[in-house]
Amino acid sequence: MTILLFLALLLAYACGMVLPLCFPGRPHIQNVIAHGSAAVAGGLGIVLGLVGLFASEPLVWFLPSSIPLLTFSLRLDSLSAFFVLTISLVGLAVSVFASGYVREFYGRIPVSLLGFLYNGFILSMLLVVTADNAFFFLIVWELMSLLSYFLVVSEHEKPDVRFAGLFYLIMTHVGTAFILMTFLMFYQETGSFAFESFRNADQSLPEGLRTLVFWTALIGFGTKAGIVPLHVWLPYAHPAAPSHVSALMSGVMIKTAIYGLLRMYFDFLGGPFPWWWGFVVLLVGTVSAVLGVMYALMEHDLKSLLAFHSVENIGIILMGIGTGMVFYAYDLPHLAALGIIAGLYHTLNHAVFKALLFMGAGSLLYATHTRNMEEYGGLLRRMPWTGLFFLIGAISISALPPTNGFVSEWLVFQGLFLSLELPSLFLKLMLPIAGALLALTGALALACFVKAFGISFLALPRSSHARKALEVPVPMRVGMGFLAGLCLVLGLGPAVVVPLLDRVSEPFVGISIAGRVFEMGGWTLAPVSGEFSSLSTPVLAIVLAGLTGLGWGLAYVLGGKGKTRFYKTWGCGLNVTARMEYTATGFVQPIKRVFSTIYQPTVKLETEFLEESHYFAKRRHFEFSIEPIFLKYLYHPILEFFSTLADRSRVIQGGNLSLYLAYIFGTLVFLLMVMG
Amino acid sequence: MPNLPINIGSYLVNLCSALLLLTCFAIVAQRRLMACVDLFALQSVFLAVTATLVAYLTGIHHIYLAAVLTIAIKAMILPRILKKIVRQLNVQREVSMYVNIPTGLLICGALVILAFFITEPIVHLGFLLTQDSLAIALAIVLIGFFIMVSRLKAVTQVIGFLVIENGLFLAATAAAYGMPLIVELGIFFDVLVAGLIVGIYTHQIQEAFGSVDTSRMKALKE
Repeated sequence: MTILLFLALLLAYACGMVLPLCFPGRPHIQNVIAHGSAAVAGGLGIVLGLVGLFASEPLVWFLPSSIPLLTFSLRLDSLSAFFVLTISLVGLAVSVFASGYVREFYGRIPVSLLGFLYNGFILSMLLVVTADNAFFFLIVWELMSLLSYFLVVSEHEKPDVRFAGLFYLIMTHVGTAFILMTFLMFYQETGSFAFESFRNADQSLPEGLRTLVFWTALIGFGTKAGIVPLHVWLPYAHPAAPSHVSALMSGVMIKTAIYGLLRMYFDFLGGPFPWWWGFVVLLVGTVSAVLGVMYALMEHDLKSLLAFHSVENIGIILMGIGTGMVFYAYDLPHLAALGIIAGLYHTLNHAVFKALLFMGAGSLLYATHTRNMEEYGGLLRRMPWTGLFFLIGAISISALPPTNGFVSEWLVFQGLFLSLELPSLFLKLMLPIAGALLALTGALALACFVKAFGISFLALPRSSHARKALEVPVPMRVGMGFLAGLCLVLGLGPAVVVPLLDRVSEPFVGISIAGRVFEMGGWTLAPVSGEFSSLSTPVLAIVLAGLTGLGWGLAYVLGGKGKTRFYKTWGCGLNVTARMEYTATGFVQPIKRVFSTIYQPTVKLETEFLEESHYFAKRRHFEFSIEPIFLKYLYHPILEFFSTLADRSRVIQGGNLSLYLAYIFGTLVFLLMVMG
Repeated sequence: MPNLPINIGSYLVNLCSALLLLTCFAIVAQRRLMACVDLFALQSVFLAVTATLVAYLTGIHHIYLAAVLTIAIKAMILPRILKKIVRQLNVQREVSMYVNIPTGLLICGALVILAFFITEPIVHLGFLLTQDSLAIALAIVLIGFFIMVSRLKAVTQVIGFLVIENGLFLAATAAAYGMPLIVELGIFFDVLVAGLIVGIYTHQIQEAFGSVDTSRMKALKE
């Protein structure tokens, strides 16, 4: 039964890849087939994910190959099923959205090719999270990276897109190299590439090798996930891709790295590991969260801003998982389960709201043809649906109730504050500090999205682009609406979601906590006990709605009859124009000043005065930039080192034919003498 | 089995192989390009004789065909092409070399010793009548390589390449009584094509640099 489902899924993606190629020169038909198949496959994937989550035993499919060490084996356990579900949910929504969005590319980019890569990309992600053989895993991992690279460079006629693509390609291969090393270390110990043998090898690995595996896996998967300081490619690659692809890359592709880390640490290296592993993951997560949101604040390119927020949210996910690992190391399984569930919940939530926000950014791009926030403004009136959905996404990512982002961040907080139960004083101090930094992150994210929403959608249009903007086509609105609805559902229904996630964490920590985290008949979430903390989002939503209603009611009663008068905003007698509005740059000035140590800002103000008097400025030029610390102090030195090395080694490239022949000759004679 | 005693046949094969090696030394010692081409043709004739001897002694008939092709291609067609190139380019002598002739000959002697030293552990494991030729074949390959490295003119480098090919052919005959016919045919075709390509290539170098001195190609380096 499930195998049929899986085959149907493969068939749907294959159709989406191949069929559009049969209709050359008909972009609309290609578009409908490619994204229609992807949407159908997304629906099938959701079913498959749910089946996998509820199955009592992992589902295994196996296809031998003639290549030694490689078998095409797939395994759908609850962890894989959860990621299949996440990918498919987002894939479904994004496919619907894409069928509208891709119209923008008719005549510029071959839609059949775009559809081929798009379907292949989603399929490769699904195979990554289900592969059960290291060799096969690496093949599909590489396929995923390459297909996404080709999607990133869709608009390759632009030089900055080509640069972004190259940067992404290099970084992702650095990551793959580390993952390869990880698997080779396992192979050396077990003599097999099957994940099954890795699972059994956990105890036989020597201590030093286990530590090495921990680091290589963290670096390898961390590059894909975008942890600081390996995040530098994200703000280049994600904005360069077409928006529906950015939604997939930022929403789900970087999550495959979270899958990889969980698989590696809990499944393969399971068993007791030192507490500092969890602490390192937590530390990396905290740094990524804080720095990610800080750099996001300074971005005025909406898609780069969202890309930096992906760094932040990956950080939050890793904080949850890191907390879980710390508790696991101290043998507190129910708290470990809580940490993992928080991380997974945030994984799902981030996938949903980040895809939604990227689709919103794509809609703005579609309507205005610019990504610069300073050229938006007044779009809420022109694009009310997009505005509403973007607002829901913004509320979610800012972790405000009653949306999903709030629930998962609340769970992460619970994990961090429950560090009181840990025996180590160091961790008792450190985890609450991480909690404080997470609170800072949340506040800054809120500021960032007040900026993003306010500058883009409110006030007057700041450019002719924004003035002429029209609401986007229906499929795009449907795609966004689906995910916006999901944001609310996931926010209101932790009582449904948490038991599902519990099924994922149970095999790893060996304990189910679904039965004990709910009070009052499943309406309230209480991780430890009702006295410590409890959360009931439905009640919270009702209270919030009630308070809003009360506010309106009071305003109505006290403020008199609502008499609407349309008039210009009062501007002290001046005519109000768009140039008087608060700009995005202006909005973040206070934050830039407070954190100037981190930003290292450079501000340049040049004033040209009138010749008659120095009290009147003729023209002012304002420039503001922040120091790209990681690029400058980490990546450029490395780059320089390698270019110097390459320059030095050019000496052997004499350019002389006889010299090259002499190299070969010398090598031959040397080998003959040594071997002979 | 033919009526020659087996060890006499073996001596003859060794003699021909030695003559091949001798022509190699002659090429290394020769400055005039035309003479180099002639020596290469002579070497190819010796190779064909060796192959015929082996074919006769072992009764493997397809080696005859290989011998005929060697005469036709390596002793007649290729030398003709090379001589035409030399005439066209009007370059008669190799004036400068990386290694002067006496030193070159000494190095070649060292290479022969090396070849015998390397093959020594394998040779007495063999049971073919041609087994001693293996060391000579390897020596010819190494000397051919040395010619390619030490000479500057494209034409002599081509000759070096062809000498390597001869050495490999001898090695195949010596170690395994020749390769399957289809492989040999393929190799002959390759050599012919290589000769033609190299003809064009030398011409291009002449056009671009006004000389067939390959050391001038350094200018191609950025």
